[in-house]
Amino acid sequence: MIGREDLPVLAAGSRLFATGAAESSFQLAVDWAGAVLDTPVELVAAGDLPPGTLCVAVSLVGSTTALGEQLPEGQEPARAVRALERRLGRRAGAVVALNLAAENALLPLIAAASLGLPLVDGDGSGRVFPLVEQTTYTLGGVSSTPLALAGPSGELVLLETAPDRVEETLRPVVLSFGGWGLAVCYPMEAAELARVLVPGTVSLLLEAGRPGAPRSVAAPYGVRRLCEGRIVAVEGSSGHGADVTLPSAPSSIVVEESEGLGRLVRLEAHNEIVLALADGAAVAMAPDQICMISSADGVVVDVDKASPGMRVEVLVLRAAPAWHTEQGSALGGLRAFGVPL
Amino acid sequence: MILGVAPGRSSTTVAVVRHGVLAWWRAYDGALLPARDGESLPASARASAGSLGNGPAEADLGEVRAACVAVDLDDVRAAPVAAIRVGGPCPPALGPQVTHPRGLATIVRGGHSLTRRPLAPLDAAAVRAFAAGCGLADFAVTATGSPVLADHELAVAELIAAEVPGARITLSYEFGRPGLRERERQAMLNAALRPEAERLADAAASWLEGIPLYFARSGEGLVSAHYFRRYPLICREGATAAALHGAHALPGPHSGRAVSPGPMGKTEAAPTGPADRGRGSVAVSPGSVAGAGEGGGFPPDVVAAFGAALAGPLAEVERIVQARGRAELDRALADARDEALTRVVSAGAAPGSARIGEVTVNPLSYLPDGLYRVRVTAAGTTP
Repeated sequence: MIGREDLPVLAAGSRLFATGAAESSFQLAVDWAGAVLDTPVELVAAGDLPPGTLCVAVSLVGSTTALGEQLPEGQEPARAVRALERRLGRRAGAVVALNLAAENALLPLIAAASLGLPLVDGDGSGRVFPLVEQTTYTLGGVSSTPLALAGPSGELVLLETAPDRVEETLRPVVLSFGGWGLAVCYPMEAAELARVLVPGTVSLLLEAGRPGAPRSVAAPYGVRRLCEGRIVAVEGSSGHGADVTLPSAPSSIVVEESEGLGRLVRLEAHNEIVLALADGAAVAMAPDQICMISSADGVVVDVDKASPGMRVEVLVLRAAPAWHTEQGSALGGLRAFGVPL
Repeated sequence: MILGVAPGRSSTTVAVVRHGVLAWWRAYDGALLPARDGESLPASARASAGSLGNGPAEADLGEVRAACVAVDLDDVRAAPVAAIRVGGPCPPALGPQVTHPRGLATIVRGGHSLTRRPLAPLDAAAVRAFAAGCGLADFAVTATGSPVLADHELAVAELIAAEVPGARITLSYEFGRPGLRERERQAMLNAALRPEAERLADAAASWLEGIPLYFARSGEGLVSAHYFRRYPLICREGATAAALHGAHALPGPHSGRAVSPGPMGKTEAAPTGPADRGRGSVAVSPGSVAGAGEGGGFPPDVVAAFGAALAGPLAEVERIVQARGRAELDRALADARDEALTRVVSAGAAPGSARIGEVTVNPLSYLPDGLYRVRVTAAGTTP
């Protein structure tokens, strides 16, 4: 069970490696979750649900900055889930996360609490990717559609399209909502979910978020330290000349290593960091997750808040095994981010 | 010559700083801003501050270019605030958080999305009704989307001013930060501090009559008294910040700063001893206390007053801008620079001295159409 008293631990765990989480939207999600957790939410393993239970994935789509600015009216999860139920002609029996980074760990919990449904222990990523289709659910052959998207001004859109067209159809809609929406997607039965999800990751966050727990607890497939140093430049990037549909503009962050070889580590970011070059040589790349941790307070530094002078530690988290297959690498590797390496 | 002033609970410390060096200081009995039943600075102290008491003969008022006050506002009495949020309905847990027992808040329709789209027309009737009926004079206004477009905040301010003559109005966009609830909290806090900030600025202005008056910001830098009256929140930890800068600049084991021997020498008291307020002024030769520890062994108020006097006016602008392509972004950046320069002059910088400090541009993650967070700081010197 996840009750109000577990919220601070889950919240802390969800931020250990989360990038792109605006402080205001994260705190908003925590307060929202606190307000709806009157009754604790049951945390279940996908395999423990009746195999035919309809499970739906819940995720924020769009910008956390927009979420922090244009607040939810509160009914977004219920409106989106009900819309999907109407389309499918059956009731949802459980909620699962798309990924567990910051707000995205809390929104499924809010949806589960609002609807009185259990939350499945696991997620579709094991880390976070910027696109709705970049999940282990997709790798397992599950379609993200039909997808219901609820916006903060009462908007509701039901999307049905080929999975590879979801992103480009969704983005203009999200923009017309004001920058964010709550998506309910990947409808599938529990037996199928058990096959395609990264299991046990919610429990892992509850463990990793406890005071004193090492950060590495939240990285089940391993974490290594790339370097520690000072950000010396934050620049716009050409986007590597590739023509890919990705939200937001690319940027580059240059970190000067303060120890060892004193290398210049260049971090290529596109919503998040996708490639690390040390003195020109590639030393880490997607699908593994690269993140900057502030040396001052141990908090993940968002790409859009990085500024010269900050001292950071650059960590690399190994992605779940599904991402290191040929298919996984095509969906979540460097090329998926438009870097032709 | 610049004066640093650190108002304490029962005394007021004045430091004289010449060419970045602490030349003389004195703690006067009496608070600059007394508690309702407390003792204010005696007239004699005011008179002696006028001539700087037993200070160096050359330290007369004619030479004083500016007085910089270092004060923390944590303990000042907060006023009840009328908070107006412009936006859509939300769960009660996400509504405006009123902390004062007599404070009030309302949500009226209106605001803009980050893409500048109007969410709803501003509900002017609701604003008027709330302003006229709340019975309060300190307002905090926060509109959805104001870091991108502040039109609705400005419109609300006009409506309030028409309904409540003499209202003190804080607009959240002045604080720039994205995140509606954080900005709202800042605006409400600022509004709550304004009445006491005005009293403090009045008291300092009357005590140091004729001297250009500044207040230390939290972080670094100064703002003019005029600016402080409107935005006291940015000076909320002014004394703490000034003390940090002061301690760093004073001679000590961690400071590499050279200190020239003070012109005063050691006149009236033990040079390394703390001030004994009961016995009038204490003059210290900075050179004689080198190595006494970070902050040079001076009383904390002296260190804070000294730190404040070292700083210069500083202002910042934070906005979210929409720009398609480099040319539009450059234009938006030029606007932000101009605004920062105007603001630092309004914060008391000599116009010729205003210059751009840092410019930071970051694309907002997960939003297309070229939305950028832009932060510009501008700095200057006191006249």
